[in-house]
Order: sequence, then structure tokens, then C-alpha cells
Amino acid sequence: MERLINIDRRIIFVFVFLGVAIPLLVDIHLPIKPTPTVRSVYDEIERISIEDPDRPVLVSFSYGASTVPEMVPMTRAILRHLFSRGRKVVGICLWPEAVGIAQPIMDELAAEFGMKYGTDYAFLGYKPGQHAVVLNLGQSVAGTFPFDTAGTAIGDLPVLDGAKNLKDFSLVFDFAAGDSMEFWWIPFGQEKHRFPFAGGCTAVMAPDLYPFLQSKQLVGLLGGLAGAAEYETIIGVPGSATAGMEPQSVTHLIIILFILLGNTVYFITRRRGGTV
Amino acid sequence: MLFLTRTLPFLFCFVFGVTSWIIYYVPHEYAQTIEREFALWLRLVFAFAYVLGLVSLLSLHWAKIRQRQAGWAYSLIVYISFGVMMLFVVYNDGNGPFAPQETTGPYQWTFINVHVASSATMFSLLAFFISSAAYRTFRARTPEAAILLVSAIIVMLGRVPIGAYISDVIPEAMQWLMSVPNMAAKRGILLGVSLGAIATSLRIIFGIERSYLGGGDD
Amino acid sequence: MSKITSCIAIAGIFLRVAAGAQEPVKIEVFDTPNDAGGSLTITWPLSTSAQTSEYRIYVATAADGPFQLAATTTAPALKSTEPTLFGHAEANDQFHVLHFTDHDTEGGGEPMPLRDGTAYFVRLGVTTDGDELFSDVHSAEPGGNWFNTAKWNNLIISVGLTLVILFYISVARRKDLFIRRIAGLEALDEALGRATEMGKSVLFVHGLKEMDKISTIAAVSILGRVAQRTARFDTDLRVANVDPVVMSVSQEVVKEAYLQQGRPDAYRPDSIFMAATEQFSYAAAVAGIMVRERPAAHIMMGYFYAESMLLAETGSTTGAIQIAGTDAYTQLPFFVTTCDYTLMGEELYAASAYLSREPKLLGSLKGQDLGKALIIGLVLVGTALASFEVDFLTHLLASL
Repeated sequence: MERLINIDRRIIFVFVFLGVAIPLLVDIHLPIKPTPTVRSVYDEIERISIEDPDRPVLVSFSYGASTVPEMVPMTRAILRHLFSRGRKVVGICLWPEAVGIAQPIMDELAAEFGMKYGTDYAFLGYKPGQHAVVLNLGQSVAGTFPFDTAGTAIGDLPVLDGAKNLKDFSLVFDFAAGDSMEFWWIPFGQEKHRFPFAGGCTAVMAPDLYPFLQSKQLVGLLGGLAGAAEYETIIGVPGSATAGMEPQSVTHLIIILFILLGNTVYFITRRRGGTV
Repeated sequence: MLFLTRTLPFLFCFVFGVTSWIIYYVPHEYAQTIEREFALWLRLVFAFAYVLGLVSLLSLHWAKIRQRQAGWAYSLIVYISFGVMMLFVVYNDGNGPFAPQETTGPYQWTFINVHVASSATMFSLLAFFISSAAYRTFRARTPEAAILLVSAIIVMLGRVPIGAYISDVIPEAMQWLMSVPNMAAKRGILLGVSLGAIATSLRIIFGIERSYLGGGDD
Repeated sequence: MSKITSCIAIAGIFLRVAAGAQEPVKIEVFDTPNDAGGSLTITWPLSTSAQTSEYRIYVATAADGPFQLAATTTAPALKSTEPTLFGHAEANDQFHVLHFTDHDTEGGGEPMPLRDGTAYFVRLGVTTDGDELFSDVHSAEPGGNWFNTAKWNNLIISVGLTLVILFYISVARRKDLFIRRIAGLEALDEALGRATEMGKSVLFVHGLKEMDKISTIAAVSILGRVAQRTARFDTDLRVANVDPVVMSVSQEVVKEAYLQQGRPDAYRPDSIFMAATEQFSYAAAVAGIMVRERPAAHIMMGYFYAESMLLAETGSTTGAIQIAGTDAYTQLPFFVTTCDYTLMGEELYAASAYLSREPKLLGSLKGQDLGKALIIGLVLVGTALASFEVDFLTHLLASL
């Protein structure tokens, strides 16, 4: 019983590893049910595609290398939905590492939907300054990003015609692995200019953003790989997030079983008068 | 010297702090111009902070190499890695350093296949660590701990498809837990932390708090 | 005009009225409030005709024209959609509102923006059944505003809170203010004592944020107090840093603490070092120190990201006593499950006051407490009122 109370961590690690590896090798499919916060993002993009089809969408990439497995699937799902509705998309980065990750994805998906660079989409790159960039964007997009990553002046990009500041975008979407949504975009952007704002974040951050959903400062939220899988289900294009749901489900079950085992042993030991 | 190390920083703090506070309430064009300039200067400071960070990193590791401190070989690897990546940036997939940075070539390959891979691997260690931490600490020693335990299980099941597969109640219970008790608790902590941040900011603006200058109070 | 012509004109009006044509619309035109300038606002009542298809705003710089088109809309917004400007009166549902910032120019070309300080003459054209009926002409001057009236509630609260905090700081300079016991800080002495007895070091970790962040300032403040105790107990102190500015401030703070304790000889600058400059490199470096050097106590104060779990879980396997404090509420669950004591949220800011008993810190803590008491009171009262559909408090405090 003593050994069960203090199981070597490595045994738990082996079970977690198997819980991730085996479902990846075996063909299991569990139905994915989208949650309201994810569906809200989808509904908002559908709404602006009908009611506000001409103004571009601003997509901000605020994540780095370590969160690629969680953030890239939702990046793909959101961009795919936007391009499939013919939306003009402008991409910016508030984290330096995001440039090398986001730009190839945007180019790849734009090509898939026949989008032309400059007319249908643009990538403006990274600017240091965190919340100061958001402040400046609220006043002038061209003043903050005078050129795109290829050195083309903003005035020569038709996709940004009429988009002088943040209020001129039909939607702003932030992919966040850190503080960007809560400490940059909402206080310095959305609170000042009241534009429709939605986001995707890592799973660990998602609970912290629920107050902003309730106050409607966030229209909707994708949380982690599960959020990305739900979005892939809604748009009907399963990808790596959907494939990751089976390993995640099994691993969660394994952790729960270990917790239940630990509690069972704890109560048995306590009943026997032992100490734990 | 005291003027430069103490008085001038306090003066800057006070002037910029109070001005930023006032212009939040002033929509006039003049105030917007000031706000724009402040934000631009802040972005310049951030940009130069990267330079400072790079210089610090390189001098830290150079000192280790020069003095042959324990682990100096790893510092040598830092220098070699830095040099190689700089070469790739300058090479820029054959286009040279003055052309826009390419999304193909050795720099992008190394970034994706070395940096992204190793960073994501380190991040994924969390899955193992949280598993062992959860096993060790999620014990229903008290009624509160039992509630925490049950909530954790509902959220863990509700966030993944298997929860809905077991029962439709689980995802709904998870949604309620996230939208009501979790949201209320987070908002409470957010209010408290924000008040603390306001108080500390006021102390800094009015020169009452000086620890950020180092060396204690005088 | 001759009598016959007048009669024909009057007969024409009666015929038009009899045919269902509308009276000219009554409009109001004024400078758009709470803006930087260059904008005018027009309001007019809801149309009584279901056949109204379009509204056009015309602008001129002289009362008799020529008028240029400034805006066209088929679905104008209601005043009730803009409570920041028009409040929450029920009558706001009966009026349209539109803001415009430029007008067309003769001969086409780029629209001309409205100029501040210039008097513009505005009229509204309502198209009903293909006929356009014009309103009277009204005049207004756009201009920038010096105060955003929608934020007066915010101003009052922030000024009030500032005065309260400054007041309590001055009170704290005259008398001692009570702070409740914070378990995590009491454990600091225990942890430092344990490290001294075991002859092992104390590891202090700041977190990832820069020196200008509140949590780092609080962490450095706590480091100063910890350094005073390690100087007194002659315990080895190791401080791992990720930011060069934080490192140099930490070196100053620790040196000062050792000087104050009369132990300048015991201070070693290389005990405060840069572990790495990147998140996971830093986590790996600090985890390595924990496993190899086996400090007896780990003190993790500041703002942490994902590395918190890596550090705390690794530290827990070494048997060290762990005390953490962070305002990163995302990471709080990880610290709570793996550390012996955790300072949550603003307890980190309170920790510095608790340890030092400095008036400025005690006073601002009291001010914060009063702020929290006010928020709790408003939430309770507002919830009760809103339950009976009395919304004035909700509107008063709305983020407008």
C-alpha cells in the first residue's frame, strides 16, 4: 500500500506516454461536440461575411515555438474559414517568433483558396512594443506598419484600402499564447475602440478569459487543441486537432484513473489507521 | 550624480505617468498626438531592449568561456549556434541580407526543425509533470478538496470528446463550472490584482516606490 | 405671389397631405461629443411611413448651398444603441442617429473631410415612394473635445482611489496599521532556518517579467528581505535571473541588504546570475540547479508562465521546502498543488508590506482593501437592485 501511495513518477510517465502513443496508432473516432464559446466565433465570422463583407479582418499572431502544437491547428482552422468565405485577411505579429510560423501558413492556405497577395490578403510582420503597437494601431495602421514583410508600402496594398485604424476592420482575431489578449488587445484596443474581438489561446489560459466572454469584450474563444478540434468539426475540415482528441481523451482518462487510485489507497490506508 | 540616478528618473516617471493618465480622458487631437508619440517611444525602448538582451547574453557566455567556468562548453555551443543562425539570416536563401527575409532556406528549416521542435518538446513535458503532480496532490483530505477533485474530473472529461461520449451532462456541467464558479473566482482575483497594480503604479508615479531603481531607499 | 398662385400652392399641399406625403423631418445637428474632432452628428425621429427607403445627409458651407452628399443609409442606427452619448432614456428608441466625417466634392474625387471650427449647414433627405423630402437646414461646427464625458465615472473612481491610497500612506507614517498573517511569509523564516541548519543554499527565482512589471518589483522587494535574513543567518543565497536589468537590480538589492546587516564580506556577486534568457532554457537551467545542487528552500516569486509547473514539480521531487507567490492566476493551480505555501495574486504585493512593515506599503495595502470593500458593496447593492429591474447603478458604473 505504501508503494501505491508513492508510485514512482516514471511509472505514471510511461502510462501517459502510452496513452498518447497508442491512440495515434489505432484508428478511433470520437464524436466532437462544439461548445458555445467556439460556436460564437464561427457565428461571428458568418455574420460579418453577410453583413460586413467588404472590410478586412485583422488577424494577430501572438505565439511562439513552444505552443505550435496547440496554436497552429486553430490558426489553420480560422484562416481556412475566413478564406473560404472570401474574406480579406491582414496578418500581423506581436511576438517575434510568430513570423516564421504564421507567414508560411497564411501563404499556403491563401494559395489553396486562390487568394492573391496584396488584393485578398497581406502579411505585415512583427513590430516590437506589445501594447504600444495596439495603441498605435488604434490610431493608424499605416503609421504602425508602414510596410509589409516584402517591403511594399501599405498604401500599395489594395486589401488595406479604407482600413485606417482598428475600427475599420470587421473583426480582430488574436491567437495568444501569453498576455496579448488580456493585457494588450482588450485594455488598449477593444476597450477604447469597441471593435468585434475574438481569440484563440492555449488551454491553460482559457479559464482566465471567461470574464471577458461574459462582459462581451470577447465575442468567442477557442481554447487549446480541443477548441481547435471543435472548430475543425464546425467547418467540416478535420485536421491535426481532431486527430489529437483521441490521445487527449485517453490521457485524461489515465490521469483520472490514477487520481481515483490514489484516493482509494489513501482512504484504505486512513481506515487502517495508517498515515499518508 | 544623484540627480541622474535618482531625481531625473523620478521626474520622468511622474511626468509620463500623470500625462498618460490624463490623456486617457481627453479625446482631443492634441492628446491623441501625445499618446501616439508615447506609444512610439515605448516601441523604440522595446526594440533596444532586444539589443540589450542580446549583448547581455553574449557577454555572459563569453565570460564563462574565458574563465573556463563549469559548463563553459555549453556557452561555446551558444556562440556557435548564434553564429550559424546569423550566417543563415545573412545568406537569406541566396538573396542576401538586404532582401526581405525568405520563408524558405536554411534559416527557416533550422527554426522549424530545431527551435520549434525543441521548444514544443520542452512545453510538452508539462503533460507528464501535471500527471504526476495531480496523482500526488489530488487527495480528498477535506470536503473542499473533495469538491475540487470532483470539479477537476468533470472539467477534464468535459473538455475532451470522451466526456460527451459518456454522457451529455458532463460537457454541460463543465460549461457551467467554467462560466459560473470559475468565471467568478477569476474575476475576483482579477479585481484584486488590478487594484494592487493600481496601488503599485501610483507609488511608482509619485516616487514613493523606488525599488525598481535598485540599491534600496534613500 | 398672386392670390391665385397662393391658392394653387395651398391646394397642392393639401393634395400631397391627402395623398399620404410626410411632413418635413425635424432634425438635430451637433458636434459629435467625446471625439477628436472632424465629425458631426445628426438625429431625427423614426419614419412613420413603411415606404421610406433611404436617408441622405447633405452638407454645405453656406445656408443656401450648394449642398453635397455626406452620407447615405437605408438602415440608420437608433439613439438607444449609443448610451454613451444619449443615455438610457426609453425615447431613444424613437430616434435615428448618424455620424459623418466627410462629404463629396463637386466634380467627384476624394471626399472632403469636415474641418474643425467651420460652420456646416446640414439637411436630411428622406426618400419615400421615390420622392425625396428635405428637412430644414440646421448648422453646427465640428471640433475636438477636451473631456470624454462618458468616462466621468472612471475619473471619479480613479481619483477617489488615488486619494484614499495616498491618505492611508500618510496615516501609516503616523501609526502602525494591522495586516493579517500571511501563512506563506511566516514559512519564509522556517524555510531559511531549515536551509541554515542543513548547511544548504536558498534558491530564489524571480519569474520571467521585466523590471517595470509590478510582480517583479514585488519579487525584488521580497528578495531584499530574504537577503537580509540570509546575511544574518549566514546562509548561501542563489538568485537565478532571466532578464539582465532584473539581475543588476537584484545584485544591488542583495548587496545593500548584506551591507545593512553588517556582512559586506559575505556578499558574492556571482551568486546572482543569469541562468538563461529564454523561457524553457531558463526552466531547464533552474531545474538543473535544483536537482544538482539540492537547495533546501526554493522561493519562486514573480510572474511565471508555463515553466512554473516544470520548476515546481522538479523542485518538489528534491524534497526542498517550496514557497511560491505569483499574480499569474493561470499558474496558481500549479503552484498550489506542488508548493508548500503559495501567495496568491495580490498577496504577492502584500508580502513586501508584511515583511518590511514600511508605511508606504502598509498604507497602499489599506487603500486597496478599501477599494475592494467598495467594489463588494457596489456588487451586492447593484445585484439586488438589478434583480428588481432598477438599473441606475448598473448604468452608472457601466464601462462606456
